[in-house]
Amino acid sequence: MKLISKKNFISIVCIFFTLITCGKLLAEKIYNFTDKYYTDNIFTILGFSVLITLVLSVHYYLQRFPFLLVFIGQYAATVAIVFLAIWLHGLLSENAPTAYMDMFWSITIPFFGGAIVYYICFFYQIRKANRMLERLN
Amino acid sequence: MKLIKTKEENLEENYLELHYDKMDGETNAVLDRLKDTLRYIEGTCEDKKVTIALTDIFYIETVDRKTFAYTKDMCVEIKEALRDILEEYSKIGFARISKSSIVNIYKIKKLQGDINMRVIIFLKNDEKLVMNRSYKNEFYERLNKLQGRKTK
Repeated sequence: MKLISKKNFISIVCIFFTLITCGKLLAEKIYNFTDKYYTDNIFTILGFSVLITLVLSVHYYLQRFPFLLVFIGQYAATVAIVFLAIWLHGLLSENAPTAYMDMFWSITIPFFGGAIVYYICFFYQIRKANRMLERLN
Repeated sequence: MKLIKTKEENLEENYLELHYDKMDGETNAVLDRLKDTLRYIEGTCEDKKVTIALTDIFYIETVDRKTFAYTKDMCVEIKEALRDILEEYSKIGFARISKSSIVNIYKIKKLQGDINMRVIIFLKNDEKLVMNRSYKNEFYERLNKLQGRKTK
């Protein structure tokens, strides 16, 4: 089933954007931290939300390929696009000294977190299906 | 209409026997429900025409535009296309597992996942099939429906 289509693409981007922004604001409140690059970061979150939605929407078309290959490919492509965007941004204005490292973790954590949840759901589904098959037989 | 269930040890195959004087509406309704389950399909095996019960089929696959049905000890070439079989018989336990094959859920021993998120299907005749990730949800939905029907 195609979960992300042209019709709901924008709404999913908005949901991602809201969730990430709320998380950012909450973290700032908890650690009493003032973001010097507030405007830049808000636009970065928007770009990031579009990218994540794009990656997830492409996943449907790649289901016939081995999962590990798809996961590594999508992760590498996302990192490359984000690093390219940071480099381009660096040409126009000054980047934060930890820009690359910060974005690396911002991609890696959700990617691997998502993959772990996906794996757990996958094996849970199989266990559930095996129980059903036992009952059927 | 009465239903008498008798357990018999060492029976080769389960069977239903109907005793009637006149076919009434109730009996016809029961037979209608059984019709799909007790349906047979024709095909050829080693140039001989054979008839096999749908419930004996483990899986069906398409190879070079030909459709083959696999039973415990036979591979029968059938005329029906996969899509037609699925449309007509999905309610008796057939589910698609890849672009070119469908499996009889009642003939599955167990499922196992691999690192690439593919589901390996172990059949009761000790054969193994691979379920494509894109057909996973469709398969689980069908399994849920069969399970739901059994618990009703």
